Amino acid sequence: MLREKKPPAPPDIAGDAPVTAAAVEAVFDGCYDFESRELHIGGDVGRKVRLCFIDGLVSGSDVAEQVIKPLTDPERFAGVTDVKAVIAMLLGGSVYVYTAKSRTKLGEMAGDLLNGFCALIFDAERTAVTFEVKSQQRRSVEAPKEEKVVKGAKDAFVETMKTNTTLVRRKLRNAHLKIREFNLGERADTAATLVYIEGFTNEGIVAEASRRLSKIKVEGALTSAVIEENIVDNPRSPFPQVISTERSDKFCMNILEGRVGILVDGLPLGFLAPGTFSQFMKVPEDHSSHFLVASTLTLLRYFSVALTLLAPAFYVAVAMYHQEMIPTRLMQSMIEAKQQVPFPTAVEVLMMLLAFEILQEAGIRMPSPIGETVSIIGALIVGQSAVEASVVSPVVVVVIALAGIAGYTMPNQDMGAALRLCRFLLVAAAIALGMFGIALGCAALLYHLASLESFGVPYMTPFAGGEGRHFSRALLRHSMTDKRDRDPELKTGDGGEAKL
Amino acid sequence: MRKRVPALGLALCLLLSGCSRGLTIFSNYRRLESIELVRTVTVDTAEPGVSVAIYGTAGEKQEARMYEKEGTSIGIAMNELTLMPLGREAILSHTENMLIGSDLAEDRLDEVLDYVERFSEMRLDTGLLVVLDSTARELVSGLAGEETPASDVIAGLSENIDRVGKGYIFSCREIVSSLAQNGVALVQCVRGVKEEKLFEKRGEMNIEPAGFAVMRPDTVVGYLTEEETLGSMLLLGRYRSRNLDVPVENAVLTMSVDLVTPEVKPVFAHDGSLEKVDIRLKLSSNLVSMEGLVDIRREDVREKVEEGLSGIVESAVSAAVRRGQEMGVDFLDLRGILSRREPIKMEDIPEKWEDVFPALPVEIRVESVFSRTYDIIDPPEISGREEGGPWKKLIGSLTDN
Repeated sequence: MLREKKPPAPPDIAGDAPVTAAAVEAVFDGCYDFESRELHIGGDVGRKVRLCFIDGLVSGSDVAEQVIKPLTDPERFAGVTDVKAVIAMLLGGSVYVYTAKSRTKLGEMAGDLLNGFCALIFDAERTAVTFEVKSQQRRSVEAPKEEKVVKGAKDAFVETMKTNTTLVRRKLRNAHLKIREFNLGERADTAATLVYIEGFTNEGIVAEASRRLSKIKVEGALTSAVIEENIVDNPRSPFPQVISTERSDKFCMNILEGRVGILVDGLPLGFLAPGTFSQFMKVPEDHSSHFLVASTLTLLRYFSVALTLLAPAFYVAVAMYHQEMIPTRLMQSMIEAKQQVPFPTAVEVLMMLLAFEILQEAGIRMPSPIGETVSIIGALIVGQSAVEASVVSPVVVVVIALAGIAGYTMPNQDMGAALRLCRFLLVAAAIALGMFGIALGCAALLYHLASLESFGVPYMTPFAGGEGRHFSRALLRHSMTDKRDRDPELKTGDGGEAKL
Repeated sequence: MRKRVPALGLALCLLLSGCSRGLTIFSNYRRLESIELVRTVTVDTAEPGVSVAIYGTAGEKQEARMYEKEGTSIGIAMNELTLMPLGREAILSHTENMLIGSDLAEDRLDEVLDYVERFSEMRLDTGLLVVLDSTARELVSGLAGEETPASDVIAGLSENIDRVGKGYIFSCREIVSSLAQNGVALVQCVRGVKEEKLFEKRGEMNIEPAGFAVMRPDTVVGYLTEEETLGSMLLLGRYRSRNLDVPVENAVLTMSVDLVTPEVKPVFAHDGSLEKVDIRLKLSSNLVSMEGLVDIRREDVREKVEEGLSGIVESAVSAAVRRGQEMGVDFLDLRGILSRREPIKMEDIPEKWEDVFPALPVEIRVESVFSRTYDIIDPPEISGREEGGPWKKLIGSLTDN
């Protein structure tokens, strides 16, 4: 059962209490930005009405121009003495606002005020007429900052949901595109929308997404983790299970693939579900470049996953336990370099991994110019100086740097972070048991990944349980002229075959 | 549950035992900085049984060191070596070559191979060499120079020996495999030679190939000459390249023979018995240098070169086959080659191979091609340069203007 949008009653105020100016002022008592003033209908001092709005949420000029000016026009309301007739005229278009609502319950009216409406309160009738005059103070649509675009649309999501839904509508001009609204947050009352194509997106996924959104019990949905952790199947897993993107083109492409999208007011992000492992290896640029180039880069990303996960662990295993695997010349230079290093290999690698993480964290948290400086100084200290001071061997620096750089090729930062976490665990396993430890660690990791599901879709599809042709679809980008198949697990309304 | 989590955490900490050897749960742990990397091992006969010497290094720029120990067997001597207070841990997994003295090879080859096979740290692809005219230890010690480890000199030989067509270093795996299949195997022989130093910091001795030894597990059947060794390499597919001198008219041409494709076919009689073996070799050659002067553009000269080369190769192969037949051992694995070609017919031949082989007629034919003479008889046309071609037209139009 969905919880459709209903403005919640302010605390300690009965939602269905009658609307009066005094009651409204009592509700917003102590609110610096609440404005209330008396107006005379048609300029007649005898016909009073109370105008209320929340400054900042509404556009002052729109209120003045579209509400106050026509309301106080003597000619417009000349001879209309009955308040009910005035209300009817207001609702019938005597003021120039495209949305007008009649409210008799205090809760509904307060909700309208919080959503950028202004209200005209008629105490005698215990009725208010609310008009939508939202402020246009919002960040304009800009190019995405986190997900760089080389060749593609450069309109990223912003914090205003209406703008975001407009971006989606402009790209998906389809009458079946549904944008259903939900309210999240017990106190903050954040609006969220579920985006899908009716009759095409699998109904089960839509129903499940609706159920999960409606069951979110939080104070306010002000961060992305609130949404993600409340709707994913396994919130304890470090691996991302919904795709988050600031790119509207990526959002729309996934809607066309048969996924559902979630937009939240106040977050410049769109969430897509179900999220599968192979989806986190793809970038929208894959569809902008030649299919051979895109396929090669996708394969490179998979190779980078193996490299970032296994390189430090593999080094630890061979350097500590399986020296016979190292080529003789390399072994000689490794022994030579290790002579001066006072720490065992395990400590060396763990120390470097920690230093790398600390540097990365410092670089991210610092303001941009300082962050870059920290990275450069860090690289110099950890790299060159540490080797010169014989704190670590050069091979360790190379291995850790290689693993770190390979991790940066991940299109999704959440996936990159999860892999970094697993990298530590695999190093620990390698320290304990060498190659056997890595084998055990990899088996455990694969077991975990294979057991994950996102909205009923296996996380490792199509690698686990998929058919051969879908396997290649995950690894390669086929030519746009080829017949394309969708992810069979999404069970779209067209049977999974794209119309070309 | 509350106790399980800290217990699991503690267990994990214990597993992080690479920091200390005492807590290591995986017994193979070695500290990288304490490793003595052994690249060469020598084994000679000595009282009370064998003398084993290992040549190790503790890094690229470190001086190579030799440790020696005697024992009743290789295994015992090796154990003694590892128990020596070296201050370092010798690992044998990077042993590239094992050199054995000819005395030891005479009757204890099986013991050497047995040790390599059984000791898990040793690689089966370790090359095995028999040292002639001196002990293996004397040779390796003589090879070591101030800045040139003996292992580098031996590694240089193993990299180049088949490239110059002077032999092939068989690995222990190949030797064991050949012994298991034929009861006989070829092993590369080397000897030390004193020659002028190529540079100051090199050792007093140099190492040179000395043909193959034909060996059974417990005895040396014989040693092959250089020609027989070449013939064996050609037939066994171990040949890569070699320069051969071919006298033609008043000149001697040094030809590089690069590509040899051997084809061995059995010819059966009507009763199913093996009538003869037909060996064909195709080789490609090119001129390296010439002593004297002869016009190689002449067709008859090229034919003479090809005939000369064919004769040398045919003689080498013939000598190798004949030597095997004389010794009564099929070290060229002719039976294996023929069986792979005609498995059913070879299975059905009425006689035993050991009886057939010594008197088996072998017909050898060599086809030689003198390639890359740089004699341009029919040069290809270069597009655009012919009379009235686009280039000429372009140049003409430019000059006219």
